[in-house]
Amino acid sequence: MAKSRYFYCLFLMNSLINIINYVPRELIDRRFAGALMSVLIGTIFGTLFVYIFTVLIAKFPGKGFPEIFYSLLPKKLAKTLLLLFAGLWCVAGGVTLLSFVDITLRFISPDSSPYTVVISFLVLVCICCRFDSLSILYGLEIILSVTLPLIIYGLVKALANPDFNWDSVLQVTTYFWHKPDLMSLSAATFSFSGYLNLAIFNRVFHGLKLKHVWILGVEGLSVLLLTFLVPIGYFGTVAIDRHVYTWFSTADSIRMENFIIERMLFIFYFAYLSLSLVSVIVLWHGGLELLKGAISSVKKQSPKAERWKEWSILGLFSAMVLSLMGLDQYELNMFGAWFLQIRWFGEMFIIALLFYCYRKVRRGSL
Amino acid sequence: MSVQQDKHNVSLEWIKDQLNGFADLIDRTLVAPFGQIDLLYIKSVADGQILSRNVITPFYEMENINAYHNYILTYPGTEEETTREKAIELLLSGYILLGLNDTFCFFDAMNREISGVNETSAESISQGPSDALTEDIAINLNMIRRRYQSTNLKMETMVIGDVSKTKVAILYDISRVDPNVLAELREKMNTLKVDILQAMGELEKFLSSDSLRILPKSIVTERPDRVVFNLSEGKVAIMLDTTGYAIVLPSIFNDFFTSMDDKIQLPIVGRFLKLLRIIGVCMTLWLPAIYVTLTAYNPEIIRVQVALLISGSRATVPYPSFVEVLLMLMMMEFLTEASLRLPKAIGPTATTVGGLILGQAATAAGLVGNIMIILVSAVAISNFLIPLNMMSLSIRVLKYIFLFAAAFLGLVGVVVCVVGFAMYLCNQRSFGQPYFRLFFLDNLGKKKGGEH
Repeated sequence: MAKSRYFYCLFLMNSLINIINYVPRELIDRRFAGALMSVLIGTIFGTLFVYIFTVLIAKFPGKGFPEIFYSLLPKKLAKTLLLLFAGLWCVAGGVTLLSFVDITLRFISPDSSPYTVVISFLVLVCICCRFDSLSILYGLEIILSVTLPLIIYGLVKALANPDFNWDSVLQVTTYFWHKPDLMSLSAATFSFSGYLNLAIFNRVFHGLKLKHVWILGVEGLSVLLLTFLVPIGYFGTVAIDRHVYTWFSTADSIRMENFIIERMLFIFYFAYLSLSLVSVIVLWHGGLELLKGAISSVKKQSPKAERWKEWSILGLFSAMVLSLMGLDQYELNMFGAWFLQIRWFGEMFIIALLFYCYRKVRRGSL
Repeated sequence: MSVQQDKHNVSLEWIKDQLNGFADLIDRTLVAPFGQIDLLYIKSVADGQILSRNVITPFYEMENINAYHNYILTYPGTEEETTREKAIELLLSGYILLGLNDTFCFFDAMNREISGVNETSAESISQGPSDALTEDIAINLNMIRRRYQSTNLKMETMVIGDVSKTKVAILYDISRVDPNVLAELREKMNTLKVDILQAMGELEKFLSSDSLRILPKSIVTERPDRVVFNLSEGKVAIMLDTTGYAIVLPSIFNDFFTSMDDKIQLPIVGRFLKLLRIIGVCMTLWLPAIYVTLTAYNPEIIRVQVALLISGSRATVPYPSFVEVLLMLMMMEFLTEASLRLPKAIGPTATTVGGLILGQAATAAGLVGNIMIILVSAVAISNFLIPLNMMSLSIRVLKYIFLFAAAFLGLVGVVVCVVGFAMYLCNQRSFGQPYFRLFFLDNLGKKKGGEH
């Protein structure tokens, strides 16, 4: 059993990860066209989703999606849904991996082969996502406790920089009264979708009780605003267009005077790489368990057969990532944007589905 | 008498037959006016003085054989009714077989050749108790009981080893121990099948079956105060006769970095010492890997001055930095091992020759950089900060994994390995308890298998 604080860890992980994951790109593209409004509305939606979802899933203590669906939905439908969700989870992890391979090649080691990098990531992720859910949560907590201070240090350092151009930020805020658009809304809500990991991790939460959901909202909003506005403060309202990984370019503009390491980029890279690897482990653990649920048979299988099943699923996931390695940066960006939108509709669908399941349980118990 | 019954009856002939070929087997008959007794014992394990003072002399002072029999039975160690196997066992452990009329009794005359209570040698601390556990289980139990005077301290004994017949005692505080741990331990101990059990490390190895594991899951300690402290935290201690150590389990990662000093010092000082150890572990694990990354892959990470300094010191080195680090680390390992094995008188010479002369000469010859020497000594010294030997050895091995990752993948390899290491630690369980967690103090001592 896990304490509720691990839920906050899951949430925090996801909201911090969104800094690298296409979200700033999409928001900044629409900085004159309603991005800020979308951030605000996205925050409201996101917090609402978190609240509804956690309340609903708390009605199924110790159960993941596979258990819930199989007991309440027709078997065929449950299998299809689980298969779809597993795909979503797998792509979510894969997208993070791919963008990090690109970042590594661009900022850290331009000489090394992309395949060496991606295979080293995949080896780690595949080994670790077979661990049990509780261990993964412990690991997540450890990595967060190491990376969070570094990230906060980076943010403080970024804001305290005298060369930070507050005028650009203020200029962007004047474009506040624009109507929000779908793309930036789905990008903004991504910051809140850490709760979705409960689909599997709810197995280790028994009676999840969240005390201050508004804290999640405030945290999400501040991370989103920082994500969106800090790069603008560094590069200006117009020149920001030229950067793909805006936050890594921002971090590379910060100098630390008092350390052996001078460039913020490496601190930032270390923190974000470890956090992203853990987040991919968390996501693929979810994907693995969902897919296992989708193809599970009634009869009990031997541990060896189970291991084969897990490895073949992970092989499939890895093959997906490797096949997407051919995409260039533009296509990858398009892919990420598509993923963000599909994910948002998926979220709504999942919440509706869960609500339906809850109604069914209620009716059954009455 | 049927054969079946005969199996369980002790007869003098059968015992003598079993012990045939024992040069030190003594078989005597003592005759007094009122009767006679048979004495059978093994000279090398029985104590002659106890025998003559407590068995032979009273025999000639008694008036009849029944009074003598009753007198013998007053000794606490005396055993009467036994099976055949038990009889042989008792004789082998130093009991004396007394044949009185038609009955047998076994008189405890065990000869214990033991060293007295010594000072701790492997886990010394500057202040605080310095007694170490001895090689005799009775003295050890006495040392523990004296420090832990509670009716909750329970003890179970068993014998392990088909040949060595080693006595094992399991100690725990019944009010604090996790019953699941105890059950798992009992199950493992009962399935244990070995011939000879001589060292704590062996038992530790048998208890945790995973052959690929690199981190110790139970503390092997020679300090009675550490055993007592851990008992009070709800852990189980296993004591073994003929070894000067005890096992404490379940132990988590953090326990291996706790020295008994920490409790004695002022709280802030204790914390500081602990912090030093954690920094030391980080250094010894990652310094070589970081050096390779910085010289071979990403010199732009550090300040220009430092980068220039390092590459300046490496100007004469004719091979990549990975080879350089590996070479020097190996030399350091050889030195550590050599100074451990050498007699105490030559030990310091080896360190001087190796450390001083070799290091100086290697830099002068241009085979390794100056900074490399500093780094290697930092790695070696920080490794010795870890208070428990088993963990310190594990860490010593683990750093090579990071080194190889850095050599092949640079910074990416190091980060991937660090994350992997953290996840690996979190995945470990020591008798059902999580091995590595952030808030390890969450439910210490009062844990009853509830929430983690």
